[in-house]
Amino acid sequence: MKSASERYAALVRLVESRTVTRSQPPLLLPAGPYFDLAGEEFGRNLLLTTTNNGVEYCLRPDFTLPIAQDYIEEGMLGTPAAFTYLGPIFRQERSTPVEFEQAGLELLGHEDSDQALDQVLTFARWALAIYDITAPNVRLGGVGLFEAFLEAADVPPAWRSRIRHRFGHPEAMERLMERLANPEERTTAPAPDSRDTVIEIVTDAMLSGGLSLIGSRTPEEIADRYLEKQALDAAPVPAETVALLQNYLSIADVADSAFDRIAALCADAGFDFSEPLFKVRNHAAQLQALSPNAEVIFDASFSPRLDYYTGIVFEMTGSDGAILASGGEYDRMLERLGSPEPVNASGCSLWVDRMAREAGDE
Amino acid sequence: MSDGVIPGGLSLAVPSKGRLEEMTRKAFSTARLSISRPGGARSYIGSIKDLPQVTVRFYPAAEIARELILGGVDMGVTGTDLIHEASENGEENVLFVRGLGFGEADVVVAVPDSWIDVQQMSDLADVASDFRARHGRWLRVATKYVNLTRRHFAKHGIAEYRIVESAGATEAAPAAGSADLIVDITSSGSTLQANQLRVLEDGLIMRSEANLIVSRTADWTPLRKAQLEALLAKMGGVPPGISTLL
Repeated sequence: MKSASERYAALVRLVESRTVTRSQPPLLLPAGPYFDLAGEEFGRNLLLTTTNNGVEYCLRPDFTLPIAQDYIEEGMLGTPAAFTYLGPIFRQERSTPVEFEQAGLELLGHEDSDQALDQVLTFARWALAIYDITAPNVRLGGVGLFEAFLEAADVPPAWRSRIRHRFGHPEAMERLMERLANPEERTTAPAPDSRDTVIEIVTDAMLSGGLSLIGSRTPEEIADRYLEKQALDAAPVPAETVALLQNYLSIADVADSAFDRIAALCADAGFDFSEPLFKVRNHAAQLQALSPNAEVIFDASFSPRLDYYTGIVFEMTGSDGAILASGGEYDRMLERLGSPEPVNASGCSLWVDRMAREAGDE
Repeated sequence: MSDGVIPGGLSLAVPSKGRLEEMTRKAFSTARLSISRPGGARSYIGSIKDLPQVTVRFYPAAEIARELILGGVDMGVTGTDLIHEASENGEENVLFVRGLGFGEADVVVAVPDSWIDVQQMSDLADVASDFRARHGRWLRVATKYVNLTRRHFAKHGIAEYRIVESAGATEAAPAAGSADLIVDITSSGSTLQANQLRVLEDGLIMRSEANLIVSRTADWTPLRKAQLEALLAKMGGVPPGISTLL
């Protein structure tokens, strides 16, 4: 039986192993980039402090953002890099400040993204093994898979972005599905106005409301979306497509069965989905091979609520349901931080205190 | 206990100025509990005639909400909106005894009238989702109700926005160019209308009203509970036994 300090020392060795660089971003970071990247929903969890001139800083709430920012600022775009970290992060939960110990791995700019993801999964697996957690509950989700599904299922493009946007938010998704399943009775006939007329009406309304025509949404943008809405109302998503989407989203099962069910669903709908499924199947198999005792579930509707995730996402939970490790592929993140193009990125975070609790160290 | 407070006595927080103060004092005097403020508007301590065990403290309404949540005062009068706004889980720390029939106002989401394509929160979610790609910045919401806004937007699956905190004249923010839409309080809707803003069909975040509120986090000894029951019985409109919920 290892002691708590032996485990921690082993974790330090893991994040300082020879093939990776341990990153140690400052404890106090500008808050702006976090709000910029993740918006208000994440922002509410930050512990903020403000300088006399009103600039907001936060206690380090995670390691991924400063690591990715450094990677760009150091001019490393295009160079494969592997960063690890271990240290405290700070958040507030229900208005109470909380300090957590977090460890993790970020693989940036690796050409073979599948291999990178497998490395991340292996890293998470090793870290859990240090805490004698050999049979975590693993939940996999497919962000890329869902995007591919929307395309393959022939969902009208204008609806596709609306549906994609609600992925990972079950309530909002359910409301949208209900709306799609029961298209509203139209009370008024569509205005036969031309685009130019609508633009003119909107422009007049904006000017009389004292709004700038360029600072925010433009008259063209509003008119286009208005007309698009009318067109969408006029051409609802076919009932069988809505049912197909709902069926897809409801699938959560032991990985292999889940993939079989998705494949069968698609075959019934008349299209072949085996290629997009292939990649996810492989990673699920890799995970299962890493931890033969773990139960690997694929949950078709599972996704973090951050739109920079792209491919496969995962979380590993302990016996009490607490998340021990989570991560995945987030190729859009570096682009959001200023990279001129998407950069392959995958990583994971480990909640050290929870792993220790799981191991009975506390 | 600070000066002037009888040990075991109760503290009652009352809005320190304006219509809220006036209406609160009126509500209490209707129940034959007249609140006196010996030093006038400059004093922050008062009393209730014939109830020496109650100390009245005059605070700004938002501060009353914070004090109630933290247990700094035992009871108080303030808007329900302010309790929900003061802390993410503020309402768990207080007991709403009863509405007082004034200070009614709705906290709402309002967009420029010219946004003819936006009727519901789901439209706003669509607009927010690609706003950054179009404009190179987040959709901005001006409000002083940061917590309420975050909760309401999260409920509707909207994550892609930023809050611009506004201390006053929130309704002017879209025209001033400091925000794209607002979350604000409205009673008649006339201020919104005058600024050509329109409340979304499902944009009602909450209905607020001045409430008599008891702090759950204050130190409730049996004696103080009995004193509370006595006071509430005098106020009327409250079933006995409220203190058993504390």
